[in-house]
Amino acid sequence: MRRVLKEEYDVLVVGAGPGGSMASYYASKGGAKTLLVEKSQEIGEPVRCAEAVPRLEEFKIEPSEEFVRSYIKGGYLIAPNGKRIEVRGGKTEGYVVERKIFDKYLAIRSAKVGTKIAVKSRVVDLYPCEDGFKVKVLHLGEEYTVKTKIVIAADGVESSVAEMAGLRCKKNPMEVCSCAEYEMTGVKLLDKHMMEFYFGDLSPKGYAWIFPKGDAANVGLGVIDKKKKAIEYLNEFLEHPILEGRLKDATPVEFKCGGVPVGGPIERTVGDNIMVVGDAAGQVSPLTGGGIYLAMSCGSIAGEVAAKAVKKGDYSMETLMEYERRWKERFYNTLMTELKYKNILQKLGERELNIIAEVMDEKLEEIDVKKIVLKAVKKAPSLLKYVGELIS
Amino acid sequence: MRVNYERCGYCGACVGVCKSMALELIENRIVIYQDRCKGCKACIIVCPLKALEE
Repeated sequence: MRRVLKEEYDVLVVGAGPGGSMASYYASKGGAKTLLVEKSQEIGEPVRCAEAVPRLEEFKIEPSEEFVRSYIKGGYLIAPNGKRIEVRGGKTEGYVVERKIFDKYLAIRSAKVGTKIAVKSRVVDLYPCEDGFKVKVLHLGEEYTVKTKIVIAADGVESSVAEMAGLRCKKNPMEVCSCAEYEMTGVKLLDKHMMEFYFGDLSPKGYAWIFPKGDAANVGLGVIDKKKKAIEYLNEFLEHPILEGRLKDATPVEFKCGGVPVGGPIERTVGDNIMVVGDAAGQVSPLTGGGIYLAMSCGSIAGEVAAKAVKKGDYSMETLMEYERRWKERFYNTLMTELKYKNILQKLGERELNIIAEVMDEKLEEIDVKKIVLKAVKKAPSLLKYVGELIS
Repeated sequence: MRVNYERCGYCGACVGVCKSMALELIENRIVIYQDRCKGCKACIIVCPLKALEE
């Protein structure tokens, strides 16, 4: 352990979540000498997530029994009045995983292609030096200075590494969803392959969820609210009449909480010798709060670009900009559209949500926002003031 | 600002919104650097558990 902190690296990745592990995997695979630094004692701990991930085939990762707890075929969107809309197939398919095992699996996968890993190691500072950064890492009370050509900051919602390097990554509190969740056993699910999403006053500016997870289920919610805390909403949700007593016999086996940046990506994700990935970069779906797919995709790109830059011997912002160009090409428009939808959705009251649910078909394969909005406005023209910009 | 450690779930949401870098998540402990805190209360707003207080 101490030995790995005494060497010099081409690429130093901060944070061993899915983004960091994918970035280090591709950096190592591309021939760069790579160190992955994780502040926790154990990779994957503590979990602060509802643990739903999309299909993994495009990452060439087998959905192993080791970490997959449930296979997901779709979800129910549930309006305040209880109307259920079933969405199946396409992007809604995926898995609920045991994140503790999944994250470690991805880190091991990265180690297998050459990544060195330092756990219980915290980045406390970094400063530019000739051809890279000197990164101060604290491990078991001892400080190490690790020289690297490139830093990839995948240090999560609490990211500070990008700030240390002069990139703005801190978020606005009204754009961070405050989440609390119990993993419970004994939950009566609507369907063991379907996720449940609940909207309305029970979870202001966010939603509540029940995700099947093997013998258990993740029951949680995310809110943006100045008056009441996520935990208070969660405790009310557990006894909410909309659940028709389905949690009556449920009991928790784990408590999780966290903050999800839903305000869209940060302004700049690249600087000289540095790239920012995942939650740290705000690469999160503003609509669902899902971040694993984006972190893994963007992390992969960052790792590839880092390896290429090392081969070229040029780690300038100009060269690393390939990362920002590529991830924006794939995701920027979708993120911005979702941000627009989220901002509208957050303004809708229960009455409006019920009207929208009423005009939606009960079974859908894809959500055609424009079509739904047109039907809703026809039924209740008062909705126009919220959704007008979507049909103009 | 003060952390009520009995209530804290050490998720780091507060650290993510602290623009003055007055908060740090060290494994399972939130640390406050009082000299940097500007009292903006962003951390209080995002905390899911009411673990931060003035």
